[in-house]
Amino acid sequence: MSAGLPTPPTGVESALRWFWGLLLLACLVWYATVTVYVAVRGVRDIRTMLSHLRASRAGGPPRR
Amino acid sequence: MSNFNPLLDGGLIGCYLLATMVVGIMVRRYVGRVEHFLLAGREMNVYLGVASLAATEFGIVTCMYTAQNAYKYGFAGAIPGLTNVVAMFLVGYTGFGVKPLRDAGVMTIPELFERRYGQFVRWLAGVVIVLGGLLNMGVFLRVGGQFLVVCCGLNLEYLELTMTALLLAVAVYTVLGGMLSVLVTDFLQFVVMSVGLLAVTLLVLYRVGGGSFAGAWPNVVSAVSERHGAAGFDPFLGTETGVGFVLANLLTSTAAVLTWQPVIARVLAAKDTPTGRRIYTRTAFFFIARWMLPGVWALGAVAAAAAVTPAVLDGFARQFGERDGSLFAMPYYLSLVVPSGLMGILIAAMLAAEMSTDSSYMLTWGSVIYNDILAPFRRTWTERRGLIINRFIVACIGVFLLVWGLWYKLEGDLWAYLQTTGTIYLASMSILLIACCYWRGANNWGAIAAIVVGAALPVAALAVNKGLSVPVVDAAGLPLLDADGRPRTVGWVSHHIGDAWVNVGTYAAVAVAMVAGSLLKPRRAAHAAAEVRA
Repeated sequence: MSAGLPTPPTGVESALRWFWGLLLLACLVWYATVTVYVAVRGVRDIRTMLSHLRASRAGGPPRR
Repeated sequence: MSNFNPLLDGGLIGCYLLATMVVGIMVRRYVGRVEHFLLAGREMNVYLGVASLAATEFGIVTCMYTAQNAYKYGFAGAIPGLTNVVAMFLVGYTGFGVKPLRDAGVMTIPELFERRYGQFVRWLAGVVIVLGGLLNMGVFLRVGGQFLVVCCGLNLEYLELTMTALLLAVAVYTVLGGMLSVLVTDFLQFVVMSVGLLAVTLLVLYRVGGGSFAGAWPNVVSAVSERHGAAGFDPFLGTETGVGFVLANLLTSTAAVLTWQPVIARVLAAKDTPTGRRIYTRTAFFFIARWMLPGVWALGAVAAAAAVTPAVLDGFARQFGERDGSLFAMPYYLSLVVPSGLMGILIAAMLAAEMSTDSSYMLTWGSVIYNDILAPFRRTWTERRGLIINRFIVACIGVFLLVWGLWYKLEGDLWAYLQTTGTIYLASMSILLIACCYWRGANNWGAIAAIVVGAALPVAALAVNKGLSVPVVDAAGLPLLDADGRPRTVGWVSHHIGDAWVNVGTYAAVAVAMVAGSLLKPRRAAHAAAEVRA
């Protein structure tokens, strides 16, 4: 594994390195946040869905 | 040598699989109608939809092809993820294509096509969708098995048994509970998968940084720069990437967002159109995360070049009877750096990802077979019979996966294979959908021409590549050798035209066929057909 600073990039390459670095950081932060948020809200969605389906099987009208 | 501990890691995996099976089977009692089985009664709300879409579209195969792209092309290999984000966000935000589709209240895309183009087009579209979809899905099981063999050090003799057992577990809850089981297990799998993904990514960054996160980024950049130069960051500079690569992926992403059935099924299963669109805009960013995070794992392999050598990777390729060892760089690297305990969580996460993908895809292609290909035959079927037939179809797809997937040998780039088999259906279906929604002049002549051209061109390219090959040479003109020491070759079309430009050309040809075919139909016949359908 090579250590130390990368070779000096051109202007475009330097900008692209920043872009990919920030994108990776955004992915990590977004993923961690969304996992928690979706997990909590998703449980509620499942409960609502199953209760509607229970009602539907008991004779309520289907949704479109 | 892998760090997989049968007791600790095997125990973690066993607990997770058991929980998934129990949950998946328990919801079976809520399934009473075909609409419950195929679309969960259209009761899916935003957050469950986001979890389900994310889990469905992230399998072991996703990890493998995104990592292979990163290993071969550096950060430029993540371009398909970027194009996917842009396409999904814009489509969700504007409602382009998806709003009229969801408003129509259909269960599948061919069902919408029947209203505009007639029953034969619906049937033909269903056939093309299922063919392309099953060919595409056919490698999932094999690639998943390869990941387990390389990452866990699993004995190759047990590969088929393991994948069979996994497929059976997925088939059981999919057959019994349909989309309802798929949604609920997807949710569980999303949570497990996300935890595993994040944990391993942080570990890889820590290891690449030499025991600190501060050193991770400079080392990753240095490794990519040494291996790929500026092309590792700029997709327009690489010899195997370039303008064609970016354009082909933009087209593929847009078409997939509009018509890839496992993705669009989430919109169709949403409780209403605005919910479906919100699922798209709120899930869009996930599609770059799913390229970047496993991509980082592969870049860890690039940085660990002393351990992850071409000789080792070629050895794996020989073991599986394939030519390209780059697919195994990421799982081999993980086998070296992930400790026991975390290895169990990683494998559980990967199995979670694989099971959610397999179950959704089996149900998706099954729904097209039932809803569209069998449409002429099922008019008198009862709900009970419909449920039984759907379950039988899903079981048959499972058998196909087993037979095709465990014995088919991949040649070359996994993403290129998936993109080409996907194009067989995506090119024509996306053009048909756009024309159906936004061009009054579109008719069945154009639709049939588009479907035929869309399938024929990629298939012809694949056939020519199989039959005619060109030797691969290095900069000095000397032939390169593959894992078996034989001269490496590439298909004639891939060499002279390029896979990316074949895909771009297919979309263009399909659009021309749609317009030309529609304009060629005599006006009187077009008006008569429109009156019949009105």
